[in-house]
Amino acid sequence: MAMMAAVTMFSFTSCDKDDDTKNNYTTYQDAVDSQVKKEKKNDKAILLVAFGSTWQCAFESFDNTKKAYEEAFKDCDVYVSYSSAICINRAAAGEHEVARDYYAPNFWLHSLAAAKYDEIIVQSLQVIPGEEYGRVINYIKDLGNNYLRDLDDEYLSELTLRLGTPLLNSLDDVKKVAKVLNDEFGEDAKTKTVAFMGHGNPSSEEHDYDIYKANVRYDQLEEELQKYSKNYFVGTVDQPENKKENVWERIQAGAGVPASKEMVLQALMSIAGDHGHNVMYGSGEEYWDDEEPESEDNSWYEYFMNEAKYKKMSNHSLKSGELRGLLDIPSVLNVWIEHTRQNIKLEDAYHSMYPED
Amino acid sequence: MKRLAAILTLTLPLMAQAQDMSKALDEVVVTATGTPHTLKNVPVQTEIISKEQIEQLGAASFEDILSQLSAGFDFNAGDMGSQMTMNGLGNSYILILIDGKRLHGDNGGENDLGHIDPHNIDHIEIVKGAGSALYGSDAIAGVINVITRKHTDEGIYLENTTRTGSYADLRQHNGIGVTVGRLNSMTNFQLQHTDGWQNTSVEDPSQTEFPIFDSRNKTVNEYTNWQVAERLTYTASDELSIYADGSLYGKRIYRPTDGKYASCDVNTFDMQYRDASAAGGFTYRMNKTDMVTFDLDWNRHAYYYYYTATTLEDGYDPLGNFTHYYPYFADQRNLQSDQQRTMAQLKGVFSLPYSNSFSAGAEFRYDCLDAPMRVRDGGGATDWTAALYAQDEFTALDWMSLTTGIRLNQNAGFGFRATPKVSVMFPLGEFRIRTGWSQGFKTPTPKELHYQYLRTMGSSTFLYIGNRELRPQTSDYWSASIEYSHGGFNMSATGYMNSLDNMITLVNIPVSEIPEGSAEYMGDGSSQIIPRQYRNMEDARTFGADVTLNWRITKELTINGTYSYLDTDAHVYNEKKDRLDKVTIDGMAHHKGNLSATWQHRFTEDYRLGLGLYGRASSTRYYQNNGNGKGYQTWRLTTSHDIGHGARGLSYRVEAGIDNIFDYRDTTPHGLHYGTTTAGRTCYCTLSIRFSEGRKMDTKSIIKESGHSSEED
Repeated sequence: MAMMAAVTMFSFTSCDKDDDTKNNYTTYQDAVDSQVKKEKKNDKAILLVAFGSTWQCAFESFDNTKKAYEEAFKDCDVYVSYSSAICINRAAAGEHEVARDYYAPNFWLHSLAAAKYDEIIVQSLQVIPGEEYGRVINYIKDLGNNYLRDLDDEYLSELTLRLGTPLLNSLDDVKKVAKVLNDEFGEDAKTKTVAFMGHGNPSSEEHDYDIYKANVRYDQLEEELQKYSKNYFVGTVDQPENKKENVWERIQAGAGVPASKEMVLQALMSIAGDHGHNVMYGSGEEYWDDEEPESEDNSWYEYFMNEAKYKKMSNHSLKSGELRGLLDIPSVLNVWIEHTRQNIKLEDAYHSMYPED
Repeated sequence: MKRLAAILTLTLPLMAQAQDMSKALDEVVVTATGTPHTLKNVPVQTEIISKEQIEQLGAASFEDILSQLSAGFDFNAGDMGSQMTMNGLGNSYILILIDGKRLHGDNGGENDLGHIDPHNIDHIEIVKGAGSALYGSDAIAGVINVITRKHTDEGIYLENTTRTGSYADLRQHNGIGVTVGRLNSMTNFQLQHTDGWQNTSVEDPSQTEFPIFDSRNKTVNEYTNWQVAERLTYTASDELSIYADGSLYGKRIYRPTDGKYASCDVNTFDMQYRDASAAGGFTYRMNKTDMVTFDLDWNRHAYYYYYTATTLEDGYDPLGNFTHYYPYFADQRNLQSDQQRTMAQLKGVFSLPYSNSFSAGAEFRYDCLDAPMRVRDGGGATDWTAALYAQDEFTALDWMSLTTGIRLNQNAGFGFRATPKVSVMFPLGEFRIRTGWSQGFKTPTPKELHYQYLRTMGSSTFLYIGNRELRPQTSDYWSASIEYSHGGFNMSATGYMNSLDNMITLVNIPVSEIPEGSAEYMGDGSSQIIPRQYRNMEDARTFGADVTLNWRITKELTINGTYSYLDTDAHVYNEKKDRLDKVTIDGMAHHKGNLSATWQHRFTEDYRLGLGLYGRASSTRYYQNNGNGKGYQTWRLTTSHDIGHGARGLSYRVEAGIDNIFDYRDTTPHGLHYGTTTAGRTCYCTLSIRFSEGRKMDTKSIIKESGHSSEED
């Protein structure tokens, strides 16, 4: 029994070799701080914040977006932030040709302040002012409040901290984006259905993730686009009553299937990752279950081909098989860039979070 | 002294007779009823994998043994365990015992079978269905009892077995047995390692943005596990023996760190286990047949991420607030879950008048789960189950033996449930007809109720969500079998149906049903997270037939074959459609079979040669998502060379063989299901050295004299 007790004690203690991880947060922050200090060339900084992706085409889209921003804001240093931890982890590790550091917004913001930039503009690369955008605003608030209490309060009081709003922040934005999308897809819309697929915030009786009621922007965008052509439709993956089957209902109730029986699909997302390639444009038997057409596992491609009897699907791809996200469409990217130029004060963010108030 | 040996070896197989395959039916089994019976006369259909079968196979692992020698099993080894199935039901329905004690700890419902040292197995007993009143009604698919080797000779016993094979495969086993007076000590060490292998470098194109042909993902990842175990037994008197044992176990699964595609083959952490156990108990024998045993066990399974690159995880920032971005650096680790279990068991076996053997027992089990970042509201959960059971074996009639049992279960969260069991055997000359019915009852585990975590697998990210609304699972198992034995020929056929209500399974759910506090799923379209939650299936049935054949054609040549037919029928309620949808029970294959032929010949007093040819085959394995596993067949050739006199002094044994002779590989792209993860053609070589110094016990007379088992209960 003594041996048993000894083994028990040993196993309780030996396995709990508590690795010293207590200072990890500050060690990590220090590493980001010194990287920013090293890279700092200007007194102004722009932080682009996206959810993130692990797709190669998304890395390239963000690289190109960063370049476009550097071109447009020559007096600013530009940084890209992911808010998905998994995407951050995987983008930096492994043996990529280029390892990318997309630090989380809180770490970048702290480092930008530690490097004492005079002006920081945080640009949301979100499409709608939804839950993700709300989180971006919270990070900015945390910085302004010197959350970790290790930044220079005097510096913070003088720091110009501004916010670039999401793509479809206001009804004016919706009109602008409808116009540039029509410039891009207008020719198609003459003879084909053009369907956009956004993400949307899910909402149910149990859990309402559409806390800022931002899903309304998708409805508004469709309304605006239909002023150009009745062949435009805007649906989502998760917005209640605005999924692929609802788009199909509206097509039937509206313009109907055009004589060409062709549909153009475009992701209404900053980049075309898993959702764009699989949920929207996935083709093949693994994307179709005819027993349950509305299944979330069925792609838009297969749904409209099988259920709505379209004959042809197409997209505006960058190169073979590589779909475009909105950041890849220069005229849409320019709307974001314009939002960065017209940056707003943080206190005005409330109105952008609750657009209909 | 004779009594001491009897208590220690009561339930060992008849070692003196074990060389003779025709006498396999005389092997003593204990799993079905908790009392020893020869295999021929055990009232509940029991399958045995003998020591000789295991030795001749030259297996690398426990999985290897079961999949090569019994048709009812399948495996699909991965980082999260071996994905074991037994007649169509997964690991969480299979009770795995080592010398009668439950294997502890799971990841995703999968036990880590590395705890079982393939070179320390004496034999394996398999009882299908929830037929045993003794081992818990949660054994809905069945019970596998691994009986380890015991060395109770007076003096010293030393054993070294080293097996090496392709892909840097290493299996090391060391045993030291010492018996001095009334004290016996057995110390075991084992190490298992493989570098892992890659059967394909192609990723499933439907899950990646462009075709990937140079993925670094392996089919089976590199791993190392080790274990040290000690058992002390003290025979205080002819009536009383006391034991204490303990073990330490460690495992690390190494995942490739040289991936190039962030979407599918980049990893930032390995998995690490740190397990431990301690136990003590006694056996008190009132007379030849009656006895009482008591066991107290404590087990721990701690599961860590061991980081290989900087990784942001859920945690608490310096101000103590929750964040998704707590960083860990390479070579640090982070506890994912710590499962601790304490069990107390008291059991008695008593002979009653009119040829009745009565067993009764009480069991208390306390589970504690500590998972700081994976359990909402506090980071932990506890559960307890108490059980009382009673069983009677009635053998007064020549033409029938009847075993009836009942197990009364009381669970902390789910209350009371009684589960009866009945088995009848009719011996008709050379035939044995057995039939039985048993009920099973399995409450949701703390993980199924409370666990919540994100896991990336290849290019998919899943959010697994516990469900506090789960109901207990119940089952009814019916079986009927006929067995024929004549001389060296034995054949049996068993038909069964296992009917489960409220079967718990993971199902995909809409994102709108994700509980609050799981915001990582959101996105702008760049990353799709698939939420999966444990739900009660409305019903599930597995039914099929197993056929086994053992034929000792000559004294030296034996043929074994097993075949298993399986079908399943399961339904889950579709809330959206308000209807029952038929679903596949993952991993189900209709047809599986094994065939083996072994030949042994003693050329001289000091040299014996053994040859074995083994084949196994499976038809397509069916899955709900990500494709079906291809059907396959593989063949293995083994040789064994016994050098020396055997039991006394020094003896040597060399085993060498080729597995998967025809080099079959399942090259299905990563991200889809495999039929088998076999590495293709591999070679192995094993050297065993045994040294025994001291007086050998007369095991034959001991078993004849004794009536009951003590250790395997």
